Amino acid sequence: MVSNGQQDDFIRLVDQHRGILHKVCRLYCFTDTDRQDLFQEIVIQLWRSYPGFRGDAKFSTWLYRIALNTAISDLRKQRPPTTFIDPGELPTQLQDIQYSGEKEQQLQLLYTAINRLTEVEKALTMLYLEDKSYQEMEEILGIPQNNLRVKMNRIRDKLRKMTKEAAYGIG
Amino acid sequence: MELDSLKEIWRDSAPEAPGTGDRTGSGNHGVDDDRYPGRESLLPLLQQRSRGPVARMRRNLRIELLCIIVAYVPLILFYLVEFQGRLRAISLALLLVGGLFCAYYYRKSRLLNTMQCLSCQVRSNLARQVATLKKYTRFYLLASTIVIPTMAILTYLIFHFQLFYPDNTRVYHSLSPAPWWKNSTIWLLMLVPFTVAMYYFNVWYINKLYGRHIKKLQELLREMDEE
Repeated sequence: MVSNGQQDDFIRLVDQHRGILHKVCRLYCFTDTDRQDLFQEIVIQLWRSYPGFRGDAKFSTWLYRIALNTAISDLRKQRPPTTFIDPGELPTQLQDIQYSGEKEQQLQLLYTAINRLTEVEKALTMLYLEDKSYQEMEEILGIPQNNLRVKMNRIRDKLRKMTKEAAYGIG
Repeated sequence: MELDSLKEIWRDSAPEAPGTGDRTGSGNHGVDDDRYPGRESLLPLLQQRSRGPVARMRRNLRIELLCIIVAYVPLILFYLVEFQGRLRAISLALLLVGGLFCAYYYRKSRLLNTMQCLSCQVRSNLARQVATLKKYTRFYLLASTIVIPTMAILTYLIFHFQLFYPDNTRVYHSLSPAPWWKNSTIWLLMLVPFTVAMYYFNVWYINKLYGRHIKKLQELLREMDEE
């Protein structure tokens, strides 16, 4: 039985890390409805697992594990986007969109490119962008650090290729 | 532009909260905020039921159990009470099958309880899911294939040996005037192809239910392991 105090602590902690959850949903779902469903599912799973959280790992590490496990295992969230974007057409289409600023444009381009990665690659890229060390990535994903480095180099190449003709190529 | 230079933009970005249109979901707010904005939106979610794959499987299993209870209990009572209790052997046969179903339910339920460990590392959770799901489907295949032959053999034994019927009743005997070997052969001839057909049907059905999911999990695991 979880007390009200624990519930308040839980909500405070999740609220602190809400941005991470939104980013996971943004990466693993293509539609707003799917994002809502995944966000709800992650919060439910976090709440269910919370009594077992003893603080051995950092809260963020624990949260990443549950969020990524939930997102990766749930195939309902793997629906493809309704419109397929050909890689060759990517730069042109992106330039057609009105952006509020350069940063926003880069971010949009980044999300578009990441959406084309596999589920595992998405998780790795997200942790890399969140500035997690390879040790932390290993703690979350369970992939040995050497393997993670190799994979990360491969992902960089992949992203570079995807965006090579864009105005802001990512490498 | 290098991926590393996008880290700052990424960290500062606050993806829109799904469905709300608000952009309050940035990384570091909430703790010192007196208004405590997350509480109102998060609290109702804690009361919601999971819609994940394991939760759905658990729910389906419960529905299966409920259907068996709803179908079996009236039948058991009917054959126990009606026909002056002459067909109570059928009640007993149904009761035995019901008992077997309880064992089936227990085994499946235990497998579902160990199917995932969401707070574990992603790779170990995937490996656990693949292993448990394979066990689950193997058990499902075995149970759903043998249920009808078991029921048929049980019914045959009850009728053939005239088990569990009241004295001075010839109801079973009159149903089966042919020699015992003839009856047994007919039963077997019907049962073997039916069981084989059921096996292939179940393989197809279980693959339709879980095949894609298992394949996807295996692909993810393979991708994680490859260098």
